[in-house]
Amino acid sequence: MNWYLLLGQATVNGLVVGLLYLLMAVGFTLVFGVMRMVNFAHGEFYMLGAFAAYVLMVHLGAPFLLAVVLTVVIAIVFGSLVEWLVLKPFRKDELNGMIVTIGLAMILQNVALMVFGPDPVSVPAIATGASSFLGVTVANSRLYVIAFAVAVLVLLYVFLRHSAVGRGLRAVVEDADIAALQGVKARLYYPLGFGIGIGLAAIAGALMAPLFSVSPFMGQAPLLKAFMVVILGGLGSIPGAALAGLCLGLLESYTALFLESSTADMLIFILVIVGMLAFPRGLIGKGEA
Amino acid sequence: MTRFTSSLLASMILGGFALHASAQETLKIGAVVTLSGAGASWGQAMKNAAELAADKVNAAGGLDVGGKKYKVQIIPYDDKYQAGEAVTVTNRLVFEDKVKYIIGPTGSAPILAVQPITEKNQVITSTLGFTDKALSAEKPFSFRPVNTTVEFAEQQVNWLVKSLGVKKVGAMFPNDETGQVMARDLEGAYTKAGSTMAAKEFYERDRVDFVPMLTKMMARGMDAIDINGNSPATAGLIVKQARELGFKGKIVRTGGPATTEIIGVAGKEAVEGMIVYAVLDPSLPSTKAYMDAYAAKYKTSVNGFSPPYYDFTNMLFEAMRRAGTVTDSQKVAAELENIKDFDGALGKLGWTGKTRYGINHQLAVPFYLAEVKNGAEVTRARCTVVEGCK
Repeated sequence: MNWYLLLGQATVNGLVVGLLYLLMAVGFTLVFGVMRMVNFAHGEFYMLGAFAAYVLMVHLGAPFLLAVVLTVVIAIVFGSLVEWLVLKPFRKDELNGMIVTIGLAMILQNVALMVFGPDPVSVPAIATGASSFLGVTVANSRLYVIAFAVAVLVLLYVFLRHSAVGRGLRAVVEDADIAALQGVKARLYYPLGFGIGIGLAAIAGALMAPLFSVSPFMGQAPLLKAFMVVILGGLGSIPGAALAGLCLGLLESYTALFLESSTADMLIFILVIVGMLAFPRGLIGKGEA
Repeated sequence: MTRFTSSLLASMILGGFALHASAQETLKIGAVVTLSGAGASWGQAMKNAAELAADKVNAAGGLDVGGKKYKVQIIPYDDKYQAGEAVTVTNRLVFEDKVKYIIGPTGSAPILAVQPITEKNQVITSTLGFTDKALSAEKPFSFRPVNTTVEFAEQQVNWLVKSLGVKKVGAMFPNDETGQVMARDLEGAYTKAGSTMAAKEFYERDRVDFVPMLTKMMARGMDAIDINGNSPATAGLIVKQARELGFKGKIVRTGGPATTEIIGVAGKEAVEGMIVYAVLDPSLPSTKAYMDAYAAKYKTSVNGFSPPYYDFTNMLFEAMRRAGTVTDSQKVAAELENIKDFDGALGKLGWTGKTRYGINHQLAVPFYLAEVKNGAEVTRARCTVVEGCK
C-alpha cells in the first residue's frame, strides 16, 4: 500500500469536507454573532440550498454556476424574510430563540419531506473524470468544489473586510450596542446577518449536492459538525470557525485512513474535547471560558 | 305526525346508526416504521404496503371476522430508526391506541427494544430488523416477513463466486446491531464459498463521505465491493463515490433491495452492471399487479421491501378470519404460523425458521439475483433458501 498516495488523497478529501464544515460554521457563527442566537435550523438551510440546486439544475436545466448564484440569492432573501417575520421578537433571547429555531428546523424538514418525498435525489456531477497530481488521483468534481468554496470564502472575506456593509456587520458581531453608539443601524443588520449566515449554509448545500445525495434529513449531521467547529474555533469568532472547520475535515479524513471509520468518528470527539481543554476559549478565541 | 310516531322514527334512525356503527367496527393496526432519516424509504415502503392491504379490504366492505365487518385503520408512527423512539411510540400504540398488531419496527435495535412490551402484552410484530435475536421460541408474537442475510447470503455468494469469479471482496456496514450481524453472516458466506472478505469497514449511519474508506479498499486491490444491506441512500453514495474514484471492479448488493433508490443517488451509469439481490420478479403476474397498484397510489416505483409487508398484512387478515377473532392475538398468532402456501404478491408463501430460530416465524420468500442494465434489473438467477441460486 502506497502511504504517500493515500495521504495525498486523504488531504484532498479532507479539504473538501473541511471546506463544507468551514462554510457551515462561518454562517453559524455569523448568525450567532449578530443575533446571539444558536440557529438549530442551520442544517435545514444547508438542505434547502441542496434542494434549490437540485430544482434549478435538474428540473430547470440551469448550469451549475448559475444554480449556485441563484441559490445564494434566494437563500439571502428567504433568510432575511425569516428573520424579519419569525425571529425578530427573539433577537438576543438565547433560550427562546433556540427553541424557535428548533421548531423552524422541524417545519422546514417536514415541508421538504412533503414536497420532495423521503427518497434521496441526486444532482449530476459538475465534472467527470479524475486528475492526477504527483500520482495522487482526485475526482475532478471534488476539485471544482474546492475551487468554488475557496472563491466563496475570498468573496466573503473581501465583503466583510472592505465593504461598508461588511464592516458594519462585523461591528455588530463584535458588539451591537457599541456599534449602535457609533451610528451603525443594528436593526438593519439583523435580517442581513441572518440572511448571509444561512446563505453560506445554502452555498455549502448547493456545492455538496453533486458529491453527496439530497434528502430532507441531510442537514442534521453537518449541523452537529458545525456546532463542534464553532465551539472548537471559539464561539463567535469567524477566523476561529474557519480554522477549526478545516482542521476537523482534515482530521476526519486522516483518522478514517488509519482507523476503522467508526473508531475514527469517536476519536474525533475525543480530540475535540482535548482541544477544548487545551484552548478553553477556542482556537482563536473570544469563546467563553 | 304524533309525538309518539316522531320519537319512534327518531329512535329507529338513531338505532339504525348504532346498528351500522356496530356492524362496521374499526380494527386498528399500528405501524412502528422509519419515516425519517436514512432508512425512511424502507419505513415508507412498509407503511404503504399495509395501507394498500387495508384499502383493499376496506373497499370490499371491510374485514369479515366472526360475522363482524371491520374497517381496517393503519396508525403509523415514525421510530426514526432509533430504539428509544420505537419504545415511545410502541407504548403509545399498545397502551393508548390499544393495538394488538404492529407493522414493523423497521430496524434491529428497535425490534429488540420493543419486544419486552409487545411480547408481554401479546402484540404481534413484524420486523424488518435483520438481527437473529428478533425471532425465538420465547418470542411467540414476533414474526419476520422478509429474508435476512442469513437466509440469502450463502446462496448468492456461492453463485457470485462460481459464476463471476469474485475472489477478494471489500464491504461496508453501519456500525450497529444490523451492520454487525450482516458483516458476520456475509463474511462467513464468502469464506465458505472459497472467497475472502479482505476488508470490512463500519461507519456511523449519518456518514455521507465514503471516499477515505474506499481509497483504503482500492489500495488493497479488491475485485468487488459488496454493499449488502446499507440503507438505500448510503448504498447509492458508496457506489457513486467508488466510481468517482475510478473503481472498475464489480459492485454487488447481496441484500436489501433498493435498486431504484441507488440509481436515484448514484446515477444510471455508475450502477450499470451491478449485481443485486432482488425480491421482485415482474414477470410474476401477482408481483406485477402489486407494483402497478403501488405506483398508481403512491406515484413512485415500489421498493422491494414493500410486497412482503403487503403479503404479511394479508396473511394477518387471513389468520384473523381463521381464528374468528381480532382481539385474541394469541389465537391469531397460532393461525398465522399455520398458514401454508399463501397466494401472495410474491408467490406461494409459508413460514420457516424452526431449525435456525427455534420457531417457524420467518417467512420463506423466493428471491432473485439480477444485473442492472440500463437502469433496470434483469434477472440472472432464481433462488430459494433451500435450493440456492440457479
